[in-house]
Amino acid sequence: MAPLIDVIKRGGRPSEAFDRTKLHRSIVAACLSVRTPHGQADDIAARACDGVVLWLVDRPQITSADLRRKAADSLHAHHPEAAYLYRHHTMII
Amino acid sequence: MIPYDTLIIIALCGLIHASFQLSVSMLTLLSGHAIGAGRRQRTLMALTHSFTWGALTMTTLLVATAAYLATTWWGTRVPSGAWAAICGVLGGLGLAVWAFYYRRSPGTTLWLPRGAASFLSRRAKATDNAAEAFSLGLVSVLSELLFVIGPVTAAALSMITLTPGWQMIALGLYAITATSSLIIVNALIGSGHKISHIQAWREHNKQFLQFIAGAALVVLAIYLYSDVAAASIGVS
Repeated sequence: MAPLIDVIKRGGRPSEAFDRTKLHRSIVAACLSVRTPHGQADDIAARACDGVVLWLVDRPQITSADLRRKAADSLHAHHPEAAYLYRHHTMII
Repeated sequence: MIPYDTLIIIALCGLIHASFQLSVSMLTLLSGHAIGAGRRQRTLMALTHSFTWGALTMTTLLVATAAYLATTWWGTRVPSGAWAAICGVLGGLGLAVWAFYYRRSPGTTLWLPRGAASFLSRRAKATDNAAEAFSLGLVSVLSELLFVIGPVTAAALSMITLTPGWQMIALGLYAITATSSLIIVNALIGSGHKISHIQAWREHNKQFLQFIAGAALVVLAIYLYSDVAAASIGVS
């Protein structure tokens, strides 16, 4: 069973357990946003998630901003354009 | 006789309006979410077209309302005091654009309070039909009223000095020029350009866009003031 990792959210919202499926979905969406085919997006997201999970091994608690930053770093190695959009998603407006 | 000088002022006001970026940011976000959610190209285009129509409609309504109010108060002759006031507003807005239109942070984050920005982001993400996208387009123009009020009022005051036929042409000219940035982004998305490229271009050029918008407001203020001053001492 995977260890429980607490993700602290911004703006005083309640923290929640790390959910790989949720992370995977968000990375797939970023890949699709730059018009990557579905299958390739899924594959890239799986590899980026692996990178994040490896980083999480000795961290019982992280912030959602850390998670986003790390996921973007991990994604950058596989798809720089999707990583750019993933990183800047909250900085558009 | 074609009133070239008035039409040029109105077109310049429209271009200044177009240089404000909130609607473009929202369109970028809306289309990014729609593509990311795997929506078909046809649905994506319905959303982006509706958003653009919404922004165009609100822009037209704002200018028409300002022109109607000005006509009700002053008829077709705008007092010099009103022109002087609008010149002051335009100059002040120009300085405000230079000072704080974009936040000093990565990305293209704007001056908006963060609560309002997250609300607009959430709405852009939740939008999945054409009617919602149209409403979002309307709201995007209203949300930037603090800045667009300057060019909208200057255009409206210029417009009411024209004959009714030319007023309609001027209204259309303002609406089209003010929405031109959205029309271009809409066309880029429709032709398959990546959102990341559009956003990267916007981010790399944001300081230039900010400078140009501020400078254009200041130049317009100076030009209109000189024009009013020249008219008041009888120089044609």
